[in-house]
Amino acid sequence: MSAQIGELTFLEVLAPRFKIPAPEFVVEPVRQSEVKQRLEDWGSGIIKPDVLAGKRGKAGTVRKVDDYHEAVKLLKKVAAKVVSGQQPRTAYMVQTVPADMEVFSAITYNSRYLAPSLTVSTKGGVDIESVDEAGKVTVPLNVFRGLNAYQASEALAQAGLAEGKLNSKLALCLVKQWDMFSATGMQSCEVNPWRVTEAGEVFACDFKATFDKNNIKFKDLGFELPEYPTRVGAFEEEMNAWSVSSHQGQAHVADLGGKLILPMLFGGGASTIITETLAQAGGDPMFLSDFGGNPPYERMKKTAEICLRHKLADASLLLILGGKANNTQIDVTFAAIADALHEWVDDNGPHPIPVVIGRGGPGLVQGFAVMKKTLENLGMPYVFFGPDTPITLVAAYAARLARQCAKGNGGVK
Amino acid sequence: MIARSLSGLLKKGDRVAVSNITGREASKVSTVSQQYCSNIVAGWALGKAGKWVEVPGGKSIPVFGQFDEMMTQLPEKRRPTKVIVYSPPDAVYGDVKEALENNRGSVKTVFVITENVSIEVTAKLRRLADTGNVDILGCNTLGIINVHDKVRIGAVGGDSPEETFRKGSACVISNSGNMVNTIASYLQSAGLGISYGISTGKDVNILTPLKELLPLAMRDKRTSMIVLYVEPGGVYEAEAIEAIRKMRTPKPILVYVAGEFAESMDVSLGHAGAVVDGPGTSASGKKALFDDYFGIPAFDADERKKYPKLMGAHPRGIRVNTLHDLVPAATALMAARKIKSDFAPVRPLALRPWFVELGALAKALPRDLVPYVAPIPEPYAKLVKHYVTSSIGRMPNRQSMRNASHASSNDGATPRVYGRSLTSLMKTGSFSETVLLYWLGHPVTHAFETRLFDMSLMAALTNGPGTISAQGAKLSAAAGNNPNTAMMATLGSIGSLHGGNGSKAASLLIRVFRNTELVDPYDRKAAPNLDALVSEFVKLFMQRKRVAKEAGVPYEKVPCLGHPVFNTEAVNYDPRERVIDEVMREEKIYNVFLDFYHRLARGMMEQHATSKVHAVNVDAALTCVLMGIAWPLLVDKKITVERAVDLPFLAFALGRVAGGAGEYLDHRDSGTALDMRVPVSECRFLGREQD
Repeated sequence: MSAQIGELTFLEVLAPRFKIPAPEFVVEPVRQSEVKQRLEDWGSGIIKPDVLAGKRGKAGTVRKVDDYHEAVKLLKKVAAKVVSGQQPRTAYMVQTVPADMEVFSAITYNSRYLAPSLTVSTKGGVDIESVDEAGKVTVPLNVFRGLNAYQASEALAQAGLAEGKLNSKLALCLVKQWDMFSATGMQSCEVNPWRVTEAGEVFACDFKATFDKNNIKFKDLGFELPEYPTRVGAFEEEMNAWSVSSHQGQAHVADLGGKLILPMLFGGGASTIITETLAQAGGDPMFLSDFGGNPPYERMKKTAEICLRHKLADASLLLILGGKANNTQIDVTFAAIADALHEWVDDNGPHPIPVVIGRGGPGLVQGFAVMKKTLENLGMPYVFFGPDTPITLVAAYAARLARQCAKGNGGVK
Repeated sequence: MIARSLSGLLKKGDRVAVSNITGREASKVSTVSQQYCSNIVAGWALGKAGKWVEVPGGKSIPVFGQFDEMMTQLPEKRRPTKVIVYSPPDAVYGDVKEALENNRGSVKTVFVITENVSIEVTAKLRRLADTGNVDILGCNTLGIINVHDKVRIGAVGGDSPEETFRKGSACVISNSGNMVNTIASYLQSAGLGISYGISTGKDVNILTPLKELLPLAMRDKRTSMIVLYVEPGGVYEAEAIEAIRKMRTPKPILVYVAGEFAESMDVSLGHAGAVVDGPGTSASGKKALFDDYFGIPAFDADERKKYPKLMGAHPRGIRVNTLHDLVPAATALMAARKIKSDFAPVRPLALRPWFVELGALAKALPRDLVPYVAPIPEPYAKLVKHYVTSSIGRMPNRQSMRNASHASSNDGATPRVYGRSLTSLMKTGSFSETVLLYWLGHPVTHAFETRLFDMSLMAALTNGPGTISAQGAKLSAAAGNNPNTAMMATLGSIGSLHGGNGSKAASLLIRVFRNTELVDPYDRKAAPNLDALVSEFVKLFMQRKRVAKEAGVPYEKVPCLGHPVFNTEAVNYDPRERVIDEVMREEKIYNVFLDFYHRLARGMMEQHATSKVHAVNVDAALTCVLMGIAWPLLVDKKITVERAVDLPFLAFALGRVAGGAGEYLDHRDSGTALDMRVPVSECRFLGREQD
């Protein structure tokens, strides 16, 4: 459960709030006269897209400019260019900071220490994963006490920045970075690079962060996170909105772009291994789903209705599969799915693709009874498995059956 | 880590306290745990002090308001050694802190079940636990089970831990709680039972990571093999391998790493921590890590024969690519490492479909895609017989109905009954028609059904002032009660022996007719062979009667046959039933159930079960009318059998409560105060005076 932000939100909101030195900037749409004025003041600027995707430079969307005509043109062009499949929200131009030194810093929760940690490197400005381990220093932080200037200075010294004025200045910047991390409920934040000018001034010149949505501080940030153009399809978008509308039962999906099997799956671990088995066995699942957590009838029915409306017409097989539930009432979930299926056929006409079901848990047989009757009424072929058949075997069987049906040998599709 | 062995995490004799124990999940899981191993000594929940969590067939659990209060009030020997946390996410930090601050040296391990706890809080929890010398598992763990000691914490094993967990030598450590159960049930097919089942949880911070658990499992005497379920995210496995790499004879490991399919798709998996966060933390990175440690590539089920030898040379274990390959891989590993099975392998993992109906599609499919129906294991087989093979009645779907109703609604303007406007019904329908809609959820099919129901209600109004229900109304009037109390007295005076016989008759009719092909009860030509049904019924009735008499116990009489008043002739009739029957004859309405009842009355006498033809009484007529209306809905599975059985009793009660109102009005107007009192002189004492 995390939410990302990019450099522009940092420049607009977080840097001034936490007094972190950052370059000046302007955001498209911007008047030509202002661009001109800024470039006259700065000498040159860098144009970047505001997009939540890495590799902006490699995509050719980070461009240095000194001519305002070109800058105005580029701001519009970069704002419209898709980066790694994602549409930018806008474009912006930041002041160029000439520097002799670039430093990397990241604060993140670290699975090795089970605590937050600070990573610094004096080889900033490049992809940090390309920097060898000897070029980076990571130190664990006490989550209660946080990062103090002494610790930060020591980490920088270990990374090769000898103690002195610059070290102290950067150490103070890192403490401010911690303050921001801690006060806003971040999960990770990275400044890459801090650029240090000849005069010894420090500027945070690129930034990315993720917030932990479960952190109570994130719920009260004091500003709205910007909304980025989504690249998720209509199905995932509708299900995401439906998912957050209630905490009763899960309605998590992730579109996989498959063409064969419509999988309605139950349980976090189970949905992962079922989807993996389907993918391995050529079942080409349309999406990953987890509808567990004992959803009430209305919740499950709407969840099923969304899945069926978006995907059933293109599916070769409907798979309803989960392990042996601890809490979920199977009769309730199955009655809801059966009713949604009935309504879909009422609206769209018969669709006699096979339905494979595997489940265990409270109310199982009553659920099977409802589903069996419904499928018979709708003329849909079916195979039901109880908890004595492993879910991965059911998934492998469903994948083979779906492939066969898609070939046309099965008489459908 | 404080625990020096896996039993340090949980063993027999450990005492468990549960936070937020009155919550929905905590109380349910605690009840099952208490029935399984009775290791919960107490729970705490703010504002719930003094309550108890009742455990049917087990030891009830006292609830305290706060942790400190619990520790103060429990004697030292009853204080918990383990704490399990079910608090809401925002309360987890406070509850764990409170438990650690008031620990009094008693609690050794904390298990946090709660999901969606923030990463910052989990980091703080670990720090608190380290400072307090306590181990902490979670967050979002399902818990732990120690199978040899038959104890568990949390929901490992679900509602029936004994079914999934048999004693044995495999220790399962899993990022997914449900996979602990699944893997344990899979391993039974390899003849492997379980020593410990541990769910680590899969948040970003796993507070007791694999590097701490794996060495304990390696040292555990009951464990001879370790089975891991791993998801992407974190360096936990890399650190664990680092920790055991130098061991001279490590125990073999079987591992399944999930989630590689999502790597190229920017897809988030179900668990919060299943997010790639650096080199080596992806599923493919972890697979490579284990393959390197084992020295052999992943298990290939098609080449299974080569493995005992191969694993002899590379004995550290193997990774599987599919979860069900754990079974052949475990079997090969057992052969290579000379690990004895814990019990005879249960039936092999296979497709065992319970219901198969592929229709025309079956003909077009290869044979192996049309599986044979397998025997359904108990207890499911009995349930299938009851719910699935049974030809009639809808399956009830359960949900919270506190603020929900199918039967009525009101959008602020129009009250509705099953979606139909009450005001429209008032204009065009009748009371009886609307009551039937309210009771059945569907309008009647034939107009005559409303008329017959009307007659049934009228017949139920009264059978004179001496009937018990009329007496109830009169007693209430004599005591000076209000009308509603008198009507309640009428209703309070009917019961299974007075008025409830109709429901027994409805059950009888459903029992007799459910296995026939009956669809339309008003179609004489389509009626089943009633004489054969009667003959079979009477034969069974006489058998039961004979057995009961031999045993000296009362036998169950045929409901709604006979009447205490209309009982003096060789062939008897209830005049109210006659009226209904005559109206039906006049209007050429056939009712198969009433026909059955008449034949039954005669058949009982002809087969010498009775000495005369008993009257088919008015309750039978009322039941047959209602069963006629309900039967097509039962066949179409639109109403439950239970609803159909309740209808005659409800109809009787509705008619009789109106009759009781009449008795009340009359008695109130004309009776004298307390005139229903029986004079002392008429009362008889049947005991012996004691002083």
